[in-house]
Order: sequence, then C-alpha cells, then structure tokens
Amino acid sequence: MAHVVTPLDQPSNYKDSQARVDRSKQAELLGKSSTLYIGNLSFYTTEEQIFELFSKCANAEDGGGIKRIIMGLDKNTRTPCGFCFVEYYTHAEALACMRFASGTKLDERIIRCDLDLGYKEGRQFGRGKSGGQVRDEHRQDYDPGRGGWGAQAQRLEIERRREVEERYADAQDGPGAVAGGGEDWKDQGGSQVENKLKRGRSPDDDGEQARMAQRSRLDDDMDINRM
Amino acid sequence: MSYRYGGNRKRYRDDYEDRRREVIETPEDRLKTAIIKFGEVDVVEELPRLEQQIRDFQPLNIPFLSEALRISVTEQPYKIPFYATLLRNLYNTPDSIHENTPVLGRLILEDFWKGFQAYLDKVAWRETRLCIQFFAHLTVAGLISPESMVALLQSFVAVLDEFGVSHGRAKKAAQAAGEGLIIAGPVLKAHSPSSVNDLITAMHTYSESTTNAKWLVALSSRASNEIIIPENAHEVLDSLLNALDILNAADFAGTVDCIPQPYLKDGATTFDVPKYDLPSVLVPPEIIEVEGITSEAGSDEGRIKREEWPEYYFRVFSNDVSPDPTTPAGYVIRSNLVDTLDIFEINRKESARLLLEYPKWNLPGTFKPKPGSTIEHEPVVGKDWQLDSTVIETILGAYLVLPQSSQKPIYYISLITELCKLSPSTAGPAVGKSIRKLYSALAESLDVEVARRFAEWFAVHMSNFGFQWVWKEWVPDLLLSPQHPKRAFIRRVVELEIRLAYHERILKTLPPEMEDPEAYVISEQAPGAAFEYEDPSHPHHEAAQTVLNLFRGRANAEDVITHLDTLKSMLEASDEGHMDVDSLVRSIAVQSLLNIGSRSFSHLLNGIERYLALLRSLASGGVSSSGGQGNAKAKSDILTAVASFWRRNRQMVGIVFDKLMQYQIVDPTDVVGWTFVNGSIVGGVREPGMPLNLSVFEWDLLKGALDKANGRVIIARRKIATLRKEDDDARARAKAKQGMEVDGEIKPDETDNVENPALETALKASESLVKEQKAALSRTLEGFISCLAPPEGGSNPNPNSRSVIDAAAWNNRATWDRDDWNAWETWGWYRQFVREYAPYLRKYTNTLETVSFSRFEGVNDPAADLLRKLWHIATGQE
Repeated sequence: MAHVVTPLDQPSNYKDSQARVDRSKQAELLGKSSTLYIGNLSFYTTEEQIFELFSKCANAEDGGGIKRIIMGLDKNTRTPCGFCFVEYYTHAEALACMRFASGTKLDERIIRCDLDLGYKEGRQFGRGKSGGQVRDEHRQDYDPGRGGWGAQAQRLEIERRREVEERYADAQDGPGAVAGGGEDWKDQGGSQVENKLKRGRSPDDDGEQARMAQRSRLDDDMDINRM
Repeated sequence: MSYRYGGNRKRYRDDYEDRRREVIETPEDRLKTAIIKFGEVDVVEELPRLEQQIRDFQPLNIPFLSEALRISVTEQPYKIPFYATLLRNLYNTPDSIHENTPVLGRLILEDFWKGFQAYLDKVAWRETRLCIQFFAHLTVAGLISPESMVALLQSFVAVLDEFGVSHGRAKKAAQAAGEGLIIAGPVLKAHSPSSVNDLITAMHTYSESTTNAKWLVALSSRASNEIIIPENAHEVLDSLLNALDILNAADFAGTVDCIPQPYLKDGATTFDVPKYDLPSVLVPPEIIEVEGITSEAGSDEGRIKREEWPEYYFRVFSNDVSPDPTTPAGYVIRSNLVDTLDIFEINRKESARLLLEYPKWNLPGTFKPKPGSTIEHEPVVGKDWQLDSTVIETILGAYLVLPQSSQKPIYYISLITELCKLSPSTAGPAVGKSIRKLYSALAESLDVEVARRFAEWFAVHMSNFGFQWVWKEWVPDLLLSPQHPKRAFIRRVVELEIRLAYHERILKTLPPEMEDPEAYVISEQAPGAAFEYEDPSHPHHEAAQTVLNLFRGRANAEDVITHLDTLKSMLEASDEGHMDVDSLVRSIAVQSLLNIGSRSFSHLLNGIERYLALLRSLASGGVSSSGGQGNAKAKSDILTAVASFWRRNRQMVGIVFDKLMQYQIVDPTDVVGWTFVNGSIVGGVREPGMPLNLSVFEWDLLKGALDKANGRVIIARRKIATLRKEDDDARARAKAKQGMEVDGEIKPDETDNVENPALETALKASESLVKEQKAALSRTLEGFISCLAPPEGGSNPNPNSRSVIDAAAWNNRATWDRDDWNAWETWGWYRQFVREYAPYLRKYTNTLETVSFSRFEGVNDPAADLLRKLWHIATGQE
C-alpha cells in the first residue's frame, strides 16, 4: 500500500557507530525490532509521561505492551539528557509509534522516534564530551528544556562569566578607587547573561522544520547528533 | 579524536555503497509514476499528454499498464472518475485505417479484470469495492455492458442472503454493490428498472434484520429494555440505502450532482468495439475460523476477527456546514474521505494533505473555496460545505465507531493534529466546535466508550497545542452531580492531561472555580506516592521501616522473607493479634517495595525483578510457603496494597497491575475480581463502603486484565504455529536426507512419532492460558451481573441498578444523583464489555451462559432481562 506515498515507519539513515553490524544486517534487524529510540525529549520529561503517550501505540490484545523504558542519562551527572529507549513486546507496536507518535509533542516538545537495534549495556549514556548527547554539545540555540545553551556554548558562557567575575576582584573602595578619566565617560561594567536552568519549553513548532532540515543535511553526522 | 575521523571515513564509504545500491529508475517506472500521479497539477491539461505517453510507450506491455491503473484506482479512490476517463480515451482509435489493430483501452480493461478477480479471491474488500466503482464509471462511459454490470452487483447482493452471513461480510458486500449502483445507476436503471429495484430491496431487507445489533452500537448508552435507536444516528448502511432511495426515486438523475463524470464531457459513449461483458463472479465464502484448527493454519497467527457490527458515525455539524451522509452527495463524500483515511494510515502527514485536497476531485462548488483561493466557483445551492469541518467530522466519526475503530485510535488523533498544523485557521475552529458538540452530547446519553475516547482525544490534542482550552465555559456545569457524565469527563480529561504533562502545568490552565478542591476537578497535590506507613505516628511505622531498610540495603529476598516471618510472629504476639496479620504483613512488604521503586517506572521494574521470589512467596499465601498458583486472598491483598500506595496516581495503579500480571505475581482473573470489589476506592470521589461504581478507571483495569489474558493466548498460538512449522520443516529435511542415502540402512521412520518436547510444552502452556482466558471473561461477566442484578443481600449493591433502566427513568435524569449515574455508567460498561469482547465471548457462549444466566431462569427481573438480552445480541443469538 505504499505506491502513492512513503510510509512513515521506515527507519532513518542512522547508523550506530558502536554497533558491530553492517548496513544490510542492520536493516534486517530493524525489520524485526520492537525497540525505539526517542529523541528531542525535555530533560524534565519523566518515564511515566513517556509511558502514557507510548501506551497509546501498544496493543495488549495482540500480546503486546510496553516492556520497559530506558532513560538516557548524562554519563557524568546521571541525569536525564533528552533521549530514551522504549521497548515493546512486538515489532508492530514500534512501527505504530513511527507512524503515529513520531513528530508529535510530548511535554510540549516535538519528539522523534526511530527504530533501534535494541538496548545494549552502556547505551543509556550520552556520548557527548560533556556527558550528554552529542547534539547538545555544539548546539547554538537556547533550549530551556535541554539545559539552556549547548554544552560547548555553556562552557564558553561559564568561561565568560568567570572572566567577568574575576576582572574586578581587585576593586578597591574609598576615594580614589575610581579614576576620573575625563567627562562623559561612564563605566559600563560587564553584561551578564543568566544561565537559566529553570524548566522551560521549546519555543515553537517551527523549530522542528529547521531541525529536520539540518538533520537531513548533516546525514553523515547522524550518529553524532543522535547519541 | 582519531576515532571520529576514522568513523567518518567509514561512514562515507558506507553511504557511497548505499547510493550505488540505489535502483535506477527504468522508463517503465517513470510511466508508472506518471500514471499514479495523474491529475495532481491539472487533470484536463495532463489527460492528452498522459494518453500519448501511454500510447507511445514501447514495447507494449499490457499487464504492466493495467497494474499501474489498478494501483491508481485502489489507492486513490478520489481519482477513480478520472482514471475512467483516461481508459475511455484509450478506446479512441486515432488510426481508423487499421481496423484490425486491437483497441489499447480494451486490452487494458480485460487485464484489469484479472487483477479484480485476484482481489476478490483474497477477499480484499476495499480493493474489490473500489474496482467496482471503477467498473461502474466505465459502464456509464459506455465501455462495459449494463447487463454484466447488473450481474456483478447482483452477485454481491447475493451475499446478504447467505445463511448465517456475518455482519461484517454483509456490510462490505452491500457497500460494494450500493456504491457501484450510485455511480452506474443512470445506465442500469434505464437498462433494467426491475433489477435495480430488486437490488435495493434486498439491501433493505438485510438492513432491517439487524435492528438488535444496531441498538448495541448506536453511540448511545440509554439503558433500557426497549430497543430504541436514536433518531439522529447515522448507520453507514442505512445512510447508503437512504441515498440510493433518493437517487432511485428520480431514476438516478441525481447521480450527476454527486459524482464527477469527466468522461461524459467530450466524446461519445458508443465505440467501434463492442461493450465489454464483465465475466460472472462468485464472492468467495468467508474464511471460517474453527476453534483448535486455527493454530494449525498458522498464517493468521490466531488473530481475532473483528468488525461484526453496524457502523454508526457521530455527526458534529448541521447539514449546511457538512453534508448530510444520508444524501447521495453526502454519502459519496464520506465514503471517499473514509477510504482516504484508511489507505493513508501509513503516512498521516500525506493523509492530512490529501484530505485537504479532496475538493479538487469532487464537483466544483461542492466545498467553499479556501480563504484566499484564486479559483472561483459558483457555489452550488444546497452544497457549498466547509471542507475542514467535513474532514474533521469524518475523522472523528471514524474514530468513535463502536465497539472499535478500524484503525488504531492514536492514528485519528495524530491525523487531526496534522490537519490543525496544516490549516490552523480553519481546522482549529472545527476542532473547537466538535469538542463542544461532543461535550453537550455527554448529557444526552453519549455512550460511555465514546466518551472515553473523546476524553483521550481531547487530552492528547491539547498536549499538542499547549493545553489551551477555554475551561471557563464549562464552569456552570460544576453545579451538576459529581458523577454526571460532563463532570466525569472534565475530571478524566484533567487526569489524562496531567499524565501527559505535570500537575502544576495543568493547574495553571484551569479557572479558579475548577482549582477549588470542592469542585472535584483536580487534586490539590501532584499525584505522588502515598506510603501508608510513612508517618512516624502510624502504629506500624517502625515495622515498615525495618522492611524498608532491608530493601534499601539490597538484602536478598530470602532474608526479607525470614524477616517478614519474624515480623508476623511479633505482630501476632502483640495486642494486634486480633487483626488479619497476614494481610498486614503483605501490605507492609508490598508498599515498602513500591516505595523503593517509586522514583520511576524503571525503578519499579528493578524492584520487582530483584524481589520476584519475595513477591511470589507473598502471593502464594503463607508468607514463607512457596510455590503453587497462589492464593486468591493473598493476591487480592497485594493488589490492595498497590492501590493504596498509588491511590493518588491512578496511572501507576494500572502500570503496576500490568507488570504484576506480566511477572506472573497475579493473574488477570485476580485483577478482574479485585476490580469489581475494590476498584472505585482508588482516588475516586467514592467513599469506601458505598455502592460500587464502575467508572472509566475500573474499566481500564478490567480491559488491561482481559487484554493480557487474550494476548497471552495469541502469543501461545503463534508459538505453537512456529514450532509446528519448524517441526514440519525438520521432518521434511530428514526425509529428504534419508531418501538421498540410498545405500545406507533404511531405518524405520522413528522421528515421525516423537513429539517435539518444546511443542508439547507450548501446547500445555496454551491449554492453561486458554483456561485463564475463559476464567477472566467469566469473572468479568459475573462481576457485572452481581453489580447490575444484585441478589438480595449482596455486598454493597447499587440500589438503583434496576431503576435507571426503567423507560421513564431517563427523562427524570435531572434529579439523578450519585447512585443513579453510577448505575447508568456501569450499564454502559457492560454494553462495551459484551460488544468489544464478543469475538472471545462467542467461543465460550454456552458455558458462560449456563454459569451466569441460568440462575435467572423464570425470575421476573428487568435487570436480568436486560443483561441477558445484551448478552444474546453480542453473542449473535438474538
């Protein structure tokens, strides 16, 4: 039934760089897989929220159901870092998620589902340098649901702030501590950007389009993006 | 880092290989694509071009062309009239000199028929029906003889007269014939008025015989012994018949107003070649599933057949906004849209796009132009409908069909989301109006299952659109009884929204009147755990702490069991010896374990898995004794402890019950039994000791248990089928090998008689799972009966289960209070139980009936009568 349109339940181009299977073997395995990778989660989304949405793709009457959920964690801080695996009992349920859940919102973020080879020890941890997912390493936008700026940007941010904080550590008080310097000049001090870590939301759906476009453009960066 | 570099290189090579493996598009592929995509830009412009492209294509390959056409017709039903035009044009013989050259169009049509026959042999109903539509168009275009078309339709109507025909089969056959008749009617009526009248009469006769079944699925939960079908209900076959009656009354002059006939625009309907006579067909008989043989068939994997019911569609809008589906134009539009929905289930985004493009394929002026559209059409009087409203209404209608929708419910939900994203300014308001319409229907006996799905859609939809709903407009309804369907709906939706988001987020969206705890809309606290022994002043706080500490220290299960034994003796020795110490110890143990696992679903699973031995021991009754199938009281205690611990979070109750069944600590039957006795004390507005109210929460628990029991049987059947197949293959191989060794000793065929031990185990497992399935169904039926027709002196019977089914009671519903609404809702879930699980219940009809209904023999009890009547209809006895 797929002559007119492409089904949504096709696996993406993602290739796990640490899985020791070739592409054709991978395709064969994905053709039977009952595990999904779920991406673009908020760091604050709970397993129960995930359960609620994904149970709608379950089919208990057919012997299915949600087997387990494996939350993706930052390998340093052991806190959720925005992805998870959902494992069902049947392949059909995983396909249903690809069709009906992928690209819809959970916790007010558009999530992405992909068929997955299945959980292996260690895969629950982010593979980014900073402990989280690689995609959060170089991210340039401010995403309050995923810890604000990307990890690299955050590092820059922290660096900048430290500089700012240290700069005037030698400031003195009393008369003469501040130079006159001539008229009309005003000390501007350092501007600070507060790094909000408060729970936040993705600003707009439109972000999805941009993200998806970026995704297909950087196809060979896929596994970097994903894990 | 170097690995990245290397990794990259490897990936490049990989992708390169992928690209190389890509299939190169052949000229045939290109033509096929051109045929499938026909008309997408401008059908009038493209027609001569495509015709030429087909004529020019060398070498001539008729099966290829007819296959492309078959795909086009069966996967794009809205384009069928235009494909008929294409084929008609391929009948033109531009080169009249060569009279002997066969007509291309005719060759394609003859080959197309073979494909139709293949669909029919597979009993692929939708494809068969869409091909019939195509043939009907060709009949009007003059390509097919009317007598053979009438014969084709007759063979489908003949299905309705088959002995014991299932409703699903009859419905589909009638739709196939009826839709063909709407299209070909003008020609067929002129050809043979009596045959046309006979076809319609036969369909009427069938439809009239299904009144009882209709009553069970008519979207209304009016509990009463009277068989009343609501006047505004729209059953699909009745709508079709009504449309046919309208058309037939005017000898199908109306067809032209509801069906595009582009093939009549230019060109004659007479050709040099004689009209094609469709060969006669016989609709193949139904595949009958015989109990026990199913597993041997293997291929269907024991899937249960559904769709045995009349189909009612919920109507949202008035006839000037969306078409009345009982009129010819309205029926055709809905049929087209529903087919589109079903076909494009594989890609909801494309589905949404195609639905919004639908007006392009219908007659001009049918729908209002899109705002800002440049195409101008004179609106047609009586039409000029709103597209988005029509599409949303159709999707909701299909979503709310009882007892189950044909596609997964979440498909319809995410399809509506896509429509709202594609066309927010028009689809959004249509969604809002639909919600209001359904909400007001809640007060007019909207079926409880329809209400359940409405709430589910509402919550998921809102989750996709920032939880923005104007709750304020429902504030006045807070004056209704807390059990009134509208208030139950509000509560349910808020609960589901919280599950998808979190408590404060949803609280923020509600008006102050609804935040008030007295309003019973939202709980004061976020739904957390409620560890009974948390409070240091609790008499068993200390005892629970010792157990909790063992769990925290990851003590092994045996040590915990030993400790619980000690605890038990200690409690027995103390002055609390008079109470049920076994229950107390179970409660302490289970709640402490849940407390350890309360941080997340994964923590729960870890906790259960680490202490499986302990849980099994608890479930087996005596705290320390082990083994056995468990003890009903002990298992009920475990479930009670779970419900108590998660009383503020009903989602978790469902999850824990599910996993306790999965790990075989409790059985589905235990959950069913527990639910009927204890269910509604969990987080509801009912106080303990009050009559049982089977609300949607309890229904979810029952459904979870029944589906688990049924699903296990299916898994077991599949396993047997696989093992049998492996066995057969192994034997075949062994035989082949033996045959090869001609010179070797010929051993007697021993291997044949030895049963595969794995198969034997699987057969035994299946046997006990079937037993459990039957027990779960039986327990559910019993539970409903003891709720709804309680015997004298039954435990907390609902006093009003009999009075609410009185014919006059419904009209007094303004005075209904808690017990009335509870009874009404419980009746509603009983209806859903018998119709949703009918395929399973039918397997055990006789046993279950004897067990559950014989006690009412000769008893004059309206509740018993209604229970039995619904049961009989569902099991196909009435």
